[in-house]
Amino acid sequence: MNHETKTPFLRLAKRDGMEGWKVWCIRAGSIVVALLLGALVMGLVGANPLTAYGTILSGALGKKTAIRQTVKIAVPLLGCALAIAPCFKMRFWNIGAEGQITAGAVAASYFALFWAGRLPAPVLLLVMGLAGALAGGIWALIPAFFKAKWNTNETLFTLMMNYIIIGVVRWLQGGPWEGRKGSQIIPQFDRAACLPKVLGVHCGWIIVLALVVFMHVYMKYTKQGYEIAVIGDSVNTARYAGMNVGYIMMRTMFLSGAISGIVGFIVASGANNTLYDGVAGGVGFTSITVAWLSQLNAFAMVAISMLLAVLEKGAETLQTRMAVPTSISDIITGILLFCMLGCEFFINFQLIFRRRKEGAK
Amino acid sequence: MKKKLLALLLALTMVLALTACGGGGDKPGSAPDSSGAKTVKVGLICIGDENDQGYTYNFIRGKDAATEALKAKGINVEWSVKWNIGEDSGCEDANTELAEEGCQLIINNSFGFEPYMLKVAPDYPDIEFVACTNQASWNDGLDNTHNAFANIYEGRYLAGVVAGMKLQEMIDDGTITADQAVIGYVGAFSFAEVISGFTSYYLGAKSVCPSVTMKVQFVGSWSDATEEANAASSLCDAGCVMISQHSDNTTPATTAQSKGAFHTGYNNDMISVAPDASLIGTRIDWSVYFSYIIEAVANGQSFDQDWCHGMDQGAVVMTDLNEKIAAKGTADKLKEVEEQIRSGKLQVFDTSTFTIGGAPLTNAFALDTDGDFTPDSEEAVFDGAFHESHFQSAPYFQLRVDGIEWLNEAWG
Repeated sequence: MNHETKTPFLRLAKRDGMEGWKVWCIRAGSIVVALLLGALVMGLVGANPLTAYGTILSGALGKKTAIRQTVKIAVPLLGCALAIAPCFKMRFWNIGAEGQITAGAVAASYFALFWAGRLPAPVLLLVMGLAGALAGGIWALIPAFFKAKWNTNETLFTLMMNYIIIGVVRWLQGGPWEGRKGSQIIPQFDRAACLPKVLGVHCGWIIVLALVVFMHVYMKYTKQGYEIAVIGDSVNTARYAGMNVGYIMMRTMFLSGAISGIVGFIVASGANNTLYDGVAGGVGFTSITVAWLSQLNAFAMVAISMLLAVLEKGAETLQTRMAVPTSISDIITGILLFCMLGCEFFINFQLIFRRRKEGAK
Repeated sequence: MKKKLLALLLALTMVLALTACGGGGDKPGSAPDSSGAKTVKVGLICIGDENDQGYTYNFIRGKDAATEALKAKGINVEWSVKWNIGEDSGCEDANTELAEEGCQLIINNSFGFEPYMLKVAPDYPDIEFVACTNQASWNDGLDNTHNAFANIYEGRYLAGVVAGMKLQEMIDDGTITADQAVIGYVGAFSFAEVISGFTSYYLGAKSVCPSVTMKVQFVGSWSDATEEANAASSLCDAGCVMISQHSDNTTPATTAQSKGAFHTGYNNDMISVAPDASLIGTRIDWSVYFSYIIEAVANGQSFDQDWCHGMDQGAVVMTDLNEKIAAKGTADKLKEVEEQIRSGKLQVFDTSTFTIGGAPLTNAFALDTDGDFTPDSEEAVFDGAFHESHFQSAPYFQLRVDGIEWLNEAWG
């Protein structure tokens, strides 16, 4: 008796292992719940949820042009998720991908704007890509260096670095790189500095798919990937095994930043054909969700980034066809992500309700 | 317990979802199609939404008015509006999306949209694309791209006349001396669109108050309520008794009122926020242009590639005059000057009415052809006037007229 009254109504317990089919049932269930909640939201604004979901799908995948746009949205998400995966595996909370993308875009844009006439197109694009990778890598290396030397907080550090580089772009836009005075707009790149299109989409999609394979091999089959995994599990174990933790952190962050920088190059050169302060456009943050949802699995990231891209593109069509504000679609996307991430909680933990007394209602 | 709760929740969700289905099910796709009426599908891409009460709001007013006007002519307009689009590849996607949705005409409302629109336009030669306030159509090599602007400098000239009459009245009744007739102007950036605006405003004031001078303060932003208020405030402190603006907010009007100065506005009627200061405002009426192009599309006709009209077609209108505080006879004078502008008898940039560095203006180029953003071709001065918006719709007057003092510069 006494014992029972002290038991809380609801308790949590760590679950050890769950059968695979159950795990997937929970995940599928979470999507169903999210869709129902989303339907509720759409119902509240007066749109038929079935038609709305249909519109999202057909808007994102129904036509060739729609698929191209969807892929265009997915490319930076996927690239950036790949970039932050090794950091997160290492439990180094790099939330500065936004800034690393921007840094890469700035460096690539420099060559696009001032070297376009001097280099043949393939060389120019290669130089832009390398410059982007280098700039993004250095931008990421700075917080890693401080973390390795003085154990600074990498979350705050990487976040603050974002604002600096975005400020730099604003300055470039209104100052030295500005086109027409007062326009605050950097001119469009020369054609030679724009990524060529393959199957109707700029060839950044090929680059990121190659990165998927690279990242998978790097994390699974290389010594460096193994070191990252060990540090992620336990820094002390890594030290005990004789690893130079600080060096590995800096190396991993440089790699992460470099990939983000390449994403910046792809977005500036392939999608926008110019540089502006919103070049990263929140991708650096959304891709954290992509990486987590994929459990840092490179191939799963392809699927998740496509899912998010479908929702985003579909939301645009939803607005055009049914006049549903895109903010409503944002809410629905938020609900979906929340449910999908939240369900992992039920996979790892067990809810234990207090037993009811016999006969009590 | 757990299962019950979940079941209840799900049931509730579904019931609500279903009722919602019933309520809104008949909404989408129910385009009214009365017999014989033509229907045009038009896309409009906006940088903001109507809540800004300024720039985009003014387009929405134009859209609604044009829809009404065309209905009377038996043309139904089906609008697809995209709100809050950025000046980036999202704009390209919005153009593609509207084109794929079957829009016959796509209107981009912001200056920075044009480069993205130009990437989509070649793929859809049967669809007409319009970039408002920009200028590439005359040499982009595409037949289906268009630009449009309005001669807002005409409206500013008239607002200047209203301001000048008020100043002259204050001089005549001894409130201020002739050399205290100073106008303070809050500008966004130091480039042609703004310079053209405040110069025409100044010339309007000078036409009725010869001793007037002007100080211009640039805030370096199209919309920054606090900075605009600060600029207006410091202009008042520097002795300005009349404030005007080329920026989005109403704070210069309220600041003028609190400092005891007068004010004329832009984009919107500001009398409601500053009843003791705001004399009049001017705005572009986009419905004139929208009606013109939509009707052309409905009838399968082509329309101007570069359109710019003003008072002559009612594309620039004045907001209500604040009779309570305006100088006597302002309304009559306004009517008279408006008629002169409409008929072309009065040129706003008449070279006999201003000097530059003490000398009259004899030549100035209008267009920039080599992309260095400095005009290098097409002589704009002829027949005794600088012809603004004659060679392209976007303003190109960017000379510094005597009597106007720049307190600073802001290029961004």
